Amino acid sequence: MTDLRVHIGSLVLDNPVLTASGTFGYGSEFADFFDLDRLGGIVTKTVTLEPRPGNPPPRICETPAGMLNSIGLPNVGVEQFKLEKWPFLSSLHTAVIVNVAGRSSQEFADVVAALEAVKGIAAYELNYSCPNVKEGGLSFSSDARVAAEVTARVRAVTRRPLITKLTPNVTSIGEIGRACADAGADALSAINTLVGMAVDIRTRKPRLSTVTGGLSGPAIRPVALARVYELVRRVSIPVIGIGGIATAEDALEFIIAGAAAVQIGTAGFVHPDAALRVVEGLEDFCRREGLANLAQLRGSLQL
Amino acid sequence: MSKSVLQLPVIERAEAARQVVRLTLQAPEWARAARAGHFINLLVPGRRDLLWRRPFSVHRADRSRGTIDLLVARMGRGSESLAECAPGDHLDAIGLLGNCFPFDPGLHEIIMVAGGIGIAPFDLLLQDVQGFSCKKSLFYGARSAGDLCRSTLWAESGAEVHLTTEDGSTGSRGLVQDELRRYLGSSANHAGRVIYGCGPTPMLAALREMALALGIKGYVTVENRMACGFGACVGCAVELAEARRDGQKYLLACKDGPVFPIEEILFHD
Repeated sequence: MTDLRVHIGSLVLDNPVLTASGTFGYGSEFADFFDLDRLGGIVTKTVTLEPRPGNPPPRICETPAGMLNSIGLPNVGVEQFKLEKWPFLSSLHTAVIVNVAGRSSQEFADVVAALEAVKGIAAYELNYSCPNVKEGGLSFSSDARVAAEVTARVRAVTRRPLITKLTPNVTSIGEIGRACADAGADALSAINTLVGMAVDIRTRKPRLSTVTGGLSGPAIRPVALARVYELVRRVSIPVIGIGGIATAEDALEFIIAGAAAVQIGTAGFVHPDAALRVVEGLEDFCRREGLANLAQLRGSLQL
Repeated sequence: MSKSVLQLPVIERAEAARQVVRLTLQAPEWARAARAGHFINLLVPGRRDLLWRRPFSVHRADRSRGTIDLLVARMGRGSESLAECAPGDHLDAIGLLGNCFPFDPGLHEIIMVAGGIGIAPFDLLLQDVQGFSCKKSLFYGARSAGDLCRSTLWAESGAEVHLTTEDGSTGSRGLVQDELRRYLGSSANHAGRVIYGCGPTPMLAALREMALALGIKGYVTVENRMACGFGACVGCAVELAEARRDGQKYLLACKDGPVFPIEEILFHD
């Protein structure tokens, strides 16, 4: 049996397969479909300081081999999260990573501070980069100095592993990733969605209420892989690959390019057990290839 | 009943109306559990370019045979492909999803209002209420006579059927909501009546207005676009008529619905 464990800072995951924030709810939505404890971990939907209603409909639109979304981070707020969502999550044995967002670096730190007393949170992921929030989540990760400041502010209030999630909608993701690593992030995750747009030619209206939204799904996978590869070469902390990963083969591309772990997002909407299938596929691949552990594969790209 | 992913054999395929195909699928557990309003989410076979599944109301359930029927209207690339399925094919389905129309045995009259493919859940509703003595009225409108999905259940269940077509080729000429308005206008006492609606947004908006004006209880089922169907994508938001005290402004069609009390939500084009 191959040892699929990976280290993300002080956190040890049983395997490198996580679910992506905003695509897996708070876990319970998927509990009917498979044993969630088979996953390396779950990354929750974003939690903010105050409750947010989210964006008006239409919020989603199907595109070639992908989809656009503009959900707007609806969530019950951190205090209700603790009461309503945490009890189920805390019943799981898999690692639970809580994704957080704020309108300012102070607010990021406040959400994390509010979660510090909750026992069992495996790590935090900082959502700098949701393109669909008016106050401009995007701005946090499009400027290296601001991005680093947010990471530093959160770093100051927690010793738990800290993952900074990066947007691809920037000139140099490598530079921003580097700044966050220097500011104390334990890992980077990339990519969030790509800004995209679609128009209904009959009504001449945009397909999303917010006009533009975030593109995800298989369509973005090659873009994501290139960004992850860029980050891997720029930082020495683990990089978690996200973007259109639906199968073990897809995940292997990221791991060979140097990713420590992967997140499964949009694929889980269509095949609820997609992340489990990736775990099983990785196990099969490693057995067939006679690999003792994932380190033998990670970053093994032949140039 | 817990949700699951099943591979359902297609047992029969029939033309139900112009551009509408009725598929019969083998699904014994779902046939037993399905109530009007429930839906399943189907993967489009052979179309990997189409990312999402396509949601379909359970149209009918044959509990002894263990089958469910769906109505597949040819609306776009996904439904076109699904309408071409043949007996022997298997469809990858997630179900059962959503809630169902509430039914109170003490009601005097249930008034079903269907526009176009919105007829889909009402066969199952008629099945569900067959043993009850309440009056069953079905208002059903389509573009033209050839677009109506007729059903043997209408006669079997003793429903009073009011058909409308936009071109007047069958039943009254005009829109189904106008026919309903005339019907409701002919009596002043609406106690014990309930309206169940499924159809295009303008029809639902008209039903809402009528139900509120006349003080009739009503429920509608909505068919929003959804990426998952089980509450994860949060894409199928439906706007609440009044924001909740905690600031909540939207519900999810897939998880909180697809059936909603008519006064609770707003309809936008």
